[in-house]
Amino acid sequence: MVNRLLESVRSRGSGAAFAGAALLAFALAVPAVAHAQDGTVTGSVTDAASQRPVGSVQVHLVGTGLGTLSRDNGRFIILNVPPGDYTLRAERIGFTAVEAQITVGAGGTVQQDFNLSAQALGLDEIVVTGTAGAARRREVGNSVSQLNIEEEVVAPPQNVDALLQGRVPGMSVTQSSASVGGGAMIRLRGNVSMTQSNQPLIYVDGVRVRSSGFAKNVPPIGYSGRSNNDVSSPLNSISPQDIERVEVIKGAAATTLYGTEASAGVIQIFTKRGSVGEATWTGQINQGLARNLTFGPDPSLRPPSENPTSLSGGRSDFLFINPWLRGHKPKCDDAIVVADQPCDSGLFSDMGAHQQNYALSVGGGAENIRYFVSGAFESDDGVLPNDHEDKLILRGNFTFSPREDLQLQWNTSYTNDQLAHTAGGNNAHGMTLNTFRRDRNYLNDESFNAINPFLNQEITTQIDHLITGLTATYSPMANFSNRLSIGYDLAQQDNRNLRPFGFIRAPTGILATSRYEFNTLTFDYVGSMDVELPSGIRSALSFGGQSVTTRSEVTTAYGDNFPGPGDPDVDNAGNTLGFEDRTRVVNAGLFVESKFDFSNKYFLIAGVRVDGNSAFGADFGFQAYPKVSGSYIISDEDFWNEGWGSMKLRAAWGQAGRAPGAFDAVRTFGAAGWGGVPAFLPSNVGNPEVGPETTTELEAGFEGSFVDDRLALDFTYFTQNTAQALFSVRQIPSLGFTSSQLANVGELANSGMELGLTYSIIRNDTWTWDIGSTLSLHDSEIISLGGSPSFSIGGFGWVVEGHPAPVIRSDCVTNPDAHADPIIEDDCYHGPNQATTIAGMHTTFQLPGGITIAARAEYQGGAFMSNGPQAAATRRSVRWAGCFEAYNTWETQGYAALTAEERARCDLQFYQSDFSIQPADFFKIRELSFQAPLPEAWASMAGASRANVTISGRNFFRWVDPLMRTLDPEVGGNVGFNTRVRSMTEHVPPPAFYTFALQVVF
Amino acid sequence: MKHIARIASSMTHKGALLPVALVTVLAACDFDVVNPGRVQEEFLFEVEAQQAIVKGIGRAASEAQNWVGYTGAAITREVHPSGSTGSFGITVEWQNGELDYETVNTHWNLSQRARWWGDDGVAKIMETGASEQSLLAEAYLWAGYAYRLLGENFCVSVIDGESAGARSVYYDRAIARFDQAASLGSGEMAMAAVAGRAAVKAFMGDWAGAVSDASGIPDGFVWEMPYFDTEGDATRNRIQFATQNEPYKAHTQKFTKYEDYAQSDNNPAGDPRVPYRVTDETGDAAVQCCGQVPWWPQQKYTNAGDNIPLSKGTEMRMIEAEAMLVSGEWQGAMDKINALRSAAGVEAATASNAAEAWTALKHERGIVTWLEGRRLGDFFRWNRDNTPGDRHPLEMPSGSQHEGSHLVQQDLCFPIARGEVDTNPNINGPTG
Repeated sequence: MVNRLLESVRSRGSGAAFAGAALLAFALAVPAVAHAQDGTVTGSVTDAASQRPVGSVQVHLVGTGLGTLSRDNGRFIILNVPPGDYTLRAERIGFTAVEAQITVGAGGTVQQDFNLSAQALGLDEIVVTGTAGAARRREVGNSVSQLNIEEEVVAPPQNVDALLQGRVPGMSVTQSSASVGGGAMIRLRGNVSMTQSNQPLIYVDGVRVRSSGFAKNVPPIGYSGRSNNDVSSPLNSISPQDIERVEVIKGAAATTLYGTEASAGVIQIFTKRGSVGEATWTGQINQGLARNLTFGPDPSLRPPSENPTSLSGGRSDFLFINPWLRGHKPKCDDAIVVADQPCDSGLFSDMGAHQQNYALSVGGGAENIRYFVSGAFESDDGVLPNDHEDKLILRGNFTFSPREDLQLQWNTSYTNDQLAHTAGGNNAHGMTLNTFRRDRNYLNDESFNAINPFLNQEITTQIDHLITGLTATYSPMANFSNRLSIGYDLAQQDNRNLRPFGFIRAPTGILATSRYEFNTLTFDYVGSMDVELPSGIRSALSFGGQSVTTRSEVTTAYGDNFPGPGDPDVDNAGNTLGFEDRTRVVNAGLFVESKFDFSNKYFLIAGVRVDGNSAFGADFGFQAYPKVSGSYIISDEDFWNEGWGSMKLRAAWGQAGRAPGAFDAVRTFGAAGWGGVPAFLPSNVGNPEVGPETTTELEAGFEGSFVDDRLALDFTYFTQNTAQALFSVRQIPSLGFTSSQLANVGELANSGMELGLTYSIIRNDTWTWDIGSTLSLHDSEIISLGGSPSFSIGGFGWVVEGHPAPVIRSDCVTNPDAHADPIIEDDCYHGPNQATTIAGMHTTFQLPGGITIAARAEYQGGAFMSNGPQAAATRRSVRWAGCFEAYNTWETQGYAALTAEERARCDLQFYQSDFSIQPADFFKIRELSFQAPLPEAWASMAGASRANVTISGRNFFRWVDPLMRTLDPEVGGNVGFNTRVRSMTEHVPPPAFYTFALQVVF
Repeated sequence: MKHIARIASSMTHKGALLPVALVTVLAACDFDVVNPGRVQEEFLFEVEAQQAIVKGIGRAASEAQNWVGYTGAAITREVHPSGSTGSFGITVEWQNGELDYETVNTHWNLSQRARWWGDDGVAKIMETGASEQSLLAEAYLWAGYAYRLLGENFCVSVIDGESAGARSVYYDRAIARFDQAASLGSGEMAMAAVAGRAAVKAFMGDWAGAVSDASGIPDGFVWEMPYFDTEGDATRNRIQFATQNEPYKAHTQKFTKYEDYAQSDNNPAGDPRVPYRVTDETGDAAVQCCGQVPWWPQQKYTNAGDNIPLSKGTEMRMIEAEAMLVSGEWQGAMDKINALRSAAGVEAATASNAAEAWTALKHERGIVTWLEGRRLGDFFRWNRDNTPGDRHPLEMPSGSQHEGSHLVQQDLCFPIARGEVDTNPNINGPTG
């Protein structure tokens, strides 16, 4: 049948159809390979509370090496089981393991179903990230956060950033703008570096993936903001539907084995793998809308002299951009609407930006080969008129065991992401800036027809992202295994940025096309040997090495002065320029780790990694990062009453680093042109002694489950010290080199605590009600500048001894509440730029009939940031919406009624951009979702084993500090999340999302 | 040790040499990566690098000239702010005439880089051995202009991280470099060096020396700093690019002394040497003093690739005229001034005494060197020397944002920038 199917498709000559049929044929054929001579064990696994099937449960015959994973429909099958008596065990992260005694007869089939109950603390869960080889949670001395997607995520998130938002204690995930496809800044325990990236390392199935953002789409010359001014994240090349679980380790105590570059933490994503048995198909359709919440003052606050709307129909609560904002256009019968202006004609005509996602996956396999293949297509409008994203994600994960002692695993994903954007951010040629600034924009005209031509700028980006990895695990002896992984992450980005001939601010046109290639090649070897030592002590010695080679290449063609209209390419231009940049960085290291297990109750792990890096200075040499950790299962002690629950105490100490940039070690001169002839300019002073900054972390805490496993607590205290911190040492300008030089001169410290709590208020056969919260408190301080002067890292962020890292510093008003002119003080320290308090709250109801209602919210507080759009507008005498309240007071009660703070902020005579600093506290409901299964009869009509629908809203409620009168703390600067200091530019804030999803499992 | 030995034995026993081999390979990793693009210093000691060194010195000087000249033009009201305070704009402080040390880091850094690179580049060429004498002469010439820029515009000198010194240090060094350029160079390059030296000598009050140098420069001589519209903002003529309509419209001739005087759409018979265009547009944003200002852009530079004159024969005549005023020959000075005006097709200026002649000279020199980055230095030295005559009221601080020139104050030189103050242990503040 399979051959006939393939032949039939081949004869029609469609390559794509043939590929699809081949996939289908593969799915159908693989189970047929199973042996028939022995017995078979089969059954299903369901959640005891919701009665929903549970996939990815490890079901195995204890002591035999025979086992499998349950599929998404909960079914499992173990083939080729010799006749005999067995203990069949079902276990999965987040559930209490269950065992059953079974007897398998010759050629017989045993049916055994399992009902799993949620487990607050899984001490025997397997943890991979940060350990040399897998380890049980009880053995690990550091904090590891695990997200079990199927169990913990109810509503389908738009991307991985949204998936992570508000879920992990100590993790902050903040967006930068409404730009479709924009990535998020991720911080784990705040900043550990003042000059290098603080974005955690990303691994997908063991393959190192680029964690910095993709390149901004902007021409190479001219103002660097002629763009949408946001960037995409490689993390979002992964389809959330493909993810089985995520592990997060947050600090150097846990990331030591990743060595240089790992001090900001590691996020590892594990994608789904097939299970033995027939193919399980899962299809999902999401339909949704994106709409903005208001981000400006209510129009009722406007002063008497202000019109209620702008000439384009914009309102102050959307900073006047709503005529272009999907979901908020003025009504068509509004007199202000001009011909051809998009408007809201009534029901459903302007509900928001349409989001749609279609996903299909199949997983299955036989005893020695398993597969998971998936495809997802996403087509999203953004809230801004030119914004659109089409994303195709394909994945194939294959596990092959050609011999008992050898397993090969090949995971590959390919993502094609096509983006179109509206010019935004701080961009005088952009839609957002010119709308926010109303009639004092770069046209001196706020009418629709004046501003609308800014949409003629075409900003299009295509990203092709391939992540592939092959892992061979060879276990020549029961106690000795070797794992070799080769990973390749290749991203090719094609940017095209066109202001066409006749463009309103560049009449003769400007075009830039850039081709980027980013690739990361990883070789990773780990050998592990278990050894039984005297006195019943078990030891595992692991050793290995890792090499990571990172390349970045870009070639850009630029042209301006086009002869006339049309669809140009660069060589049509009157002026053409070319640019190229290539860098390669090599990091390699060796490590050894030894684990000691005393009575399965006390664990000690010690190890060291030694790294070299091409960016280290010639005089530097190698860097060693040691670690040691211990854990103690106190609940296994005799004195512990079983009714008290279970508890693990843990502590870990370790080091990890961050490397300097590729060129920081050497004295260089930039090769610049001057009228077509080459010219050298002083560039980088150079520092042959520069090495990595080393973060040392000590963390201690406990994990426990109490009250009949209803209460789970996870507490961690940590303290980090980054020594030899890479600081930008400002050079003495009169010595010729005006740019700063990185040097290992500084020291900074972080400390804080993280608390996670979940409690099952109701747990019975028909109902469960869980509540939970996370709390992270975090402080940072610059301990020493090593004698170098304090320095700015942009956005009013400063690195100053004795202050947070970084601190927001600006001139300030010392008499803010006085009804008087402001008294201004230089260099006031407002506070940190990263949140010091992050609190998460979540609750889940599971109701009869498999209905689930879940909610999740997040509060971030303690941070300060600059409201750049306010500062830029005020200094240009724009009637800034954020000052409406002050203007109102001024006009109705007189100038004397204004406070000093209001005068400084809103009266140009006292203007300083320094007065734009605002607290960035916010509270958002990150998710509210409702999920219900469709009646089985409906599902079976479609041939499905089950189906469910989900309705969800994300980020649809927000509170911000009242002093932040406009925009949103999740508005970023002109470089997206690739920034060290959060500050705002003229972006539209990230919208809320409302999604309907239908999932069907066959 | 037994523990490790047992493991090693097991591994060997099973033929598991693969990990050992891998470890060996990793240990032998080559970290010696040489990335293309940026040039390490050692390569600059090769003869083939000398031309790029010299052009680099020139480009560094051009970037410094660009920033200092534009901001100086705003402070002296050669232009009046009309919009952007951002990338190409005139900050609120500069609009008010204030050169605060926190706002002039770029000017300081670029000027110091030009000076340092001039000296260091010459030293590199000398150490290697100059491939061509003209290259060395050109390097000295750009270095001389870099020092002249500093001497004319910066309040005190700082050299190579040392403590602050007198401004005259810059003059002396400028003259030394112009001397070298004049002796090593030939033709127009040598003439440019002499003309540059004449200006420095005039600034120093060495009028005899200045006139001696100036006298050899013909009226039509012009030596320019090159700018280009094809290589990005750093090499564009900043004064021009800031005012063109893409998108900044950052300055205007409205509210300047040229508004009524110069040739424009409103006044076709005006002086053609200081042209501007009348538009019905306003600057790209409202400014503090006056709200939205009519945008009447200068037309001396009409393209961002237009060069800026550094030394001219006409400037030499003005030096000669000023030398005459210093020595009391005010009628002779007026003759010099009117010779230039006549050549430009402008009616003659009149004066009935020395003070009026000084007024005429101050006016005329402003026209001759308009938008060339010289006016701030002129104001400084005329104040320093307490010269007679008046400047136009629209070039003088009115003390208020809302009247006259809209200059609350008028700082006549750039202080030591905060970046130098913060990093140089020998400097204690903006004045040294």
